[in-house]
Amino acid sequence: MPSALKHTLFILAPLVIVLAVLPGVYQNHLLLFNFVIFLVLAQGVNIIYGFTGYLPFGYVGFFGAGAYGFAIMVMHLQAPALLAVLAAGVVGILLGLLLTPLLRLSGAYFAIANLAASLAVLHLVANPALESITKGPYGVSLTGTFNPNSAYMAAVVVLALTVAAVVYLKNSSFGLALQAVREDSVSAAMAGVNVVKMRVLAWLASALVAGLAGGIYAWYVSVFYPDNVFSGEFSIFAIVFALFGGVATITGPIVGVIILYGIYNLIGFTTPQYFQLIYGLLIMGLVLFLPAGLVSLATRRGWHVP
Amino acid sequence: MLTYALVAGVLFGLYFSLVGIGLNLVFGVMRIVNLAHGDVLMLGAFIALGVVTLAGIDPLFAVPLAFIVFLLAGLLLYWVLVPRLQGSVNPEMLSIILFFGLSQVIEAITTIFAGTSERSIQSRLLGTVFSTIKVKWFGGKPGPAGPVQIFGQGFPAPWVIAAVTSLVAIGLVYLYLYRSRLGTLTRAVMSRRDEALATGIDVDRVSAAAFGIGLGLAAVAGVFAPFMFGSVTPAFGADATVTSFAIVVLGSLGNPLGTALGGVVYGVCYMLVQTYLSSWADLLPYVLLILILLLRPSGLLGRQVRVA
Amino acid sequence: MSPKARPILNVAKLVKRFGGFHALDGLSFHVVPGEILGLVGPNGSGKTTAINVISGLYAPDGGEVTLDGQPIGGIASHRLVHRGINRTFQVPKPFMSLTVRENVQVALSHGRPAVAPPSVADLLDEYRLTELADRPASELNSAQQKMLDLTRALATRPRLLLLDELAAGLNPAELDWIAGRIKALAASGMAIIVVEHLMGFIEHITDRVIVLNAGKEIFEGKLAAAVQEPQVIEVFLGGEHAA
Repeated sequence: MPSALKHTLFILAPLVIVLAVLPGVYQNHLLLFNFVIFLVLAQGVNIIYGFTGYLPFGYVGFFGAGAYGFAIMVMHLQAPALLAVLAAGVVGILLGLLLTPLLRLSGAYFAIANLAASLAVLHLVANPALESITKGPYGVSLTGTFNPNSAYMAAVVVLALTVAAVVYLKNSSFGLALQAVREDSVSAAMAGVNVVKMRVLAWLASALVAGLAGGIYAWYVSVFYPDNVFSGEFSIFAIVFALFGGVATITGPIVGVIILYGIYNLIGFTTPQYFQLIYGLLIMGLVLFLPAGLVSLATRRGWHVP
Repeated sequence: MLTYALVAGVLFGLYFSLVGIGLNLVFGVMRIVNLAHGDVLMLGAFIALGVVTLAGIDPLFAVPLAFIVFLLAGLLLYWVLVPRLQGSVNPEMLSIILFFGLSQVIEAITTIFAGTSERSIQSRLLGTVFSTIKVKWFGGKPGPAGPVQIFGQGFPAPWVIAAVTSLVAIGLVYLYLYRSRLGTLTRAVMSRRDEALATGIDVDRVSAAAFGIGLGLAAVAGVFAPFMFGSVTPAFGADATVTSFAIVVLGSLGNPLGTALGGVVYGVCYMLVQTYLSSWADLLPYVLLILILLLRPSGLLGRQVRVA
Repeated sequence: MSPKARPILNVAKLVKRFGGFHALDGLSFHVVPGEILGLVGPNGSGKTTAINVISGLYAPDGGEVTLDGQPIGGIASHRLVHRGINRTFQVPKPFMSLTVRENVQVALSHGRPAVAPPSVADLLDEYRLTELADRPASELNSAQQKMLDLTRALATRPRLLLLDELAAGLNPAELDWIAGRIKALAASGMAIIVVEHLMGFIEHITDRVIVLNAGKEIFEGKLAAAVQEPQVIEVFLGGEHAA
């Protein structure tokens, strides 16, 4: 059996089926929804960081822009929710296109510039001068489209598409070329790879999934403020979940989200600063002791991890 | 109004230079972006708060205290964290994440002990040591110093004190880099790290010193933060890091003295935007940072270091 | 090889500056299909810069580079690869975390389209990498990394191959073997430019050499004749390659 089919049958399909039926047996709908959103975001980070090596410190910029794309479609154009979600994806891609020049920067420069870009979008959206369009810092309320069950299913669909994209990257010459570019862009060009095109495509793909996720999040919660949907925690959680499991794999980010977000909710911290403390220590420990993620425990023993 | 904005911009700019210079020193020597830089600044502010509330003395005394505490903390942290990091596959990327983790830890611990409320210090307390000396030696009435007159306009005394302290600190960094042995080695490591290693320079010692001094300078800048920005909270660190990065990139990454120029340019822009376009002032550091990175990646003065 | 064969590559009055330094200062030469041309000269004479310009890493500051009569100066590297140019690197830079097989696979699937592309297995076998096929490239020693770099280049089916100090660091048995491989590639019609410090190796494999000094050609012809030239001797004497 070709490995792409194997990955689809044994990773993608079970994940999507379980998440699709879980709301029927488990009460905490919001928690499940957050799981799906973080799975999408962690895989989005996987696409851009795992396969191309760009660390998107401002990944939440696409998510927040998507949420506001959804809100503006609904508030000003009375668009139906599904159309508004698609618009959120388009907003993600447009912001991604606008930021493509950042791909000229490498390493830390890219990470910081991307962070700055997300903060710039936040301050733009939250600016009182734009109140007539975005409602500025006062937040939006979209009760007309409120429908958590449909939003949840849309999130599962986006997750399926995102994981399918990662399965494709893991099994295609496109994905292999991306990893070659990540390792050494000059040698990659000398292997005939169109370095710029590859990077831009991966960047736009990860912008698209974050934009879609943001739109669906807006649909689900229906009332939010700029600080909610542009919260740096989305970027950081997504990056840490992906890293903890292991990037450039299909399963790594999934395992990362299930374990870390699972622990987060099991412990259920009421005081965020204790969580932040444990989280910070976890990040430091991860970098110092397990820089290639949980999957490296297996790969070090010579086991293959999809 | 323009004169006021320009002079205030230069005063703030000198202070901003101090805010950024430690980050740049650490980057120049270690090629590591210290994402916990802003959190050290925040801790410096809390040292100033502590000096005022516990000892009841002029917060200026927090300057040497903050410097020494963070110089030592920097040396310690260096030896704990950095060797392990540099043995890994991708030290640059991992260092960003590591120091981000550190910044989370610092912010969380500070929140646990100090809460999330905004802390400020009465600005008349800064510089009381000068008026005390003046009274003791030259007579006259004790009391808070009024605004300082420059070009016929009054500016808050703390702004001037912070600007002067920054100038002194930058001068000392210059003396360290150009007049001391360790500083000369530091410059060698900054310009060619590989060759410095090959010629047998103790790169670890140079880097540890730079890291300690970098954190010390950040903490000193932090002492003035409550006066320059009105108040601080434990969450102040993240914004301070991005602002510092903008200042450093504006000057030139890897060239600590370029930061002085970057700081002044940033300060003047900041004050002009505050004066004429105040509702957009929040956007300034981010937009400036992105524009500079894209249009003039080597900074206003500087060599090429960053394009992929 | 017919001396009248049409050149595949022609370099005319090529100039490349770094700041005020002229790395190439009016360099001209050509190479025809099936020929092995040596580029020799002291360090800093412009050999690697010439390769970097021809392979599209740098845009030239003056002069012209043509492939099959078409100007190619300033065209992106991957496009030149698709048109049949490839090269190895003085310090090979394989895709470290990918396996040896994947390294070659990337080049095979993104290189120049061909009617009958070689297979990964054959390529690995030809360059003695079969045993290492599933190991990450980071585990290879430097001689093996050089062979992987060459295999990566060949997987794109080049018509013009630029070899930058491929032989440095190989042992005598490996040198003999690689010389045989290079000659076989040329015999199949590939044009090859070799930059090398090992004069014996150059003499053994090249048809013709260009001696460079300060970015200019100072001699063109057989290596045996070059070492008789007073100008060439002067350039090399006192240099590290005098022996």
